Amino acid sequence: GAAAAAAALAAAAALRGRAGRPLSQAAGESGGSEGGGGSGSREAVERLVREHPVVVFMKGSPAQPLCGFSNAVVQILRLHGVEDYRAHDVLQDPDLRQGIKDYSNWPTIPQVYLNGEFVGGCDILLQMHQNGDLVEELKKLGIRSALLDAEKDQEKK
Amino acid sequence: MRGPLLAAAGGAMGGAGGPLAHTIRAKLTAALQPTHLEVRDDSPRHGGPPGAETHFGVLVVSERFAGLPLLQRHRLVHEALRTELAGPLHALQVIARTPQQWQSDPHAPPAPPCLGGSKREQRRG
Repeated sequence: GAAAAAAALAAAAALRGRAGRPLSQAAGESGGSEGGGGSGSREAVERLVREHPVVVFMKGSPAQPLCGFSNAVVQILRLHGVEDYRAHDVLQDPDLRQGIKDYSNWPTIPQVYLNGEFVGGCDILLQMHQNGDLVEELKKLGIRSALLDAEKDQEKK
Repeated sequence: MRGPLLAAAGGAMGGAGGPLAHTIRAKLTAALQPTHLEVRDDSPRHGGPPGAETHFGVLVVSERFAGLPLLQRHRLVHEALRTELAGPLHALQVIARTPQQWQSDPHAPPAPPCLGGSKREQRRG
């Protein structure tokens, strides 16, 4: 009767009390719920690095790099005949610029991803190019480096 | 390496270069005990005002790199300079070799030319 109802009311009140969230949790939730986490979130970056076998985060674009190190990455890929890849200009997106550094735990731009895996920046790509590793890594992705064809042409002559 | 060399082999302190150059040299020496270390301030080539210390290149020769792939070697260098990279150090070129590698090829490629990227930026990142 009345006792049961009172108990039910008390229980309901207690539930509401437990449903009250601490401020920090509420703030976190509201931050994470906008736009699916923002362009710099782990989820967003994960989607980008998996978009294509070759993904580059750089300053500027392949047509117009805005940084010598980013340009070096573009030129190296071009040497290998890799022109079809995804390039993201971090200067256009501050959230992505920070997010990509957090994702790879790497402090600088450019960043090169092969098959969704972080490979390194401009220095590493240059050394991979010089020691033949880049040709091998591209081969694993099913991309035949143009340099192999260049060698073949030379052999024919 | 081209550009002003700011450190002699053996990690001599008190050479030319600003405070950040000294810090970089000291931290890399402490973290990696290099047999050869070169610290190059590229900041003037990237359009910074005189005295700006923002872009550096380091050549680190250390036995600590033995058996490590390039990515891990570079991560060790970054780790040693974590505070600086979160602060004024805007760009860092890294060459990381073992003593054997350096001995068989004691040359480093020149830095890529600046294309003015940092001049177009409002803030560091």
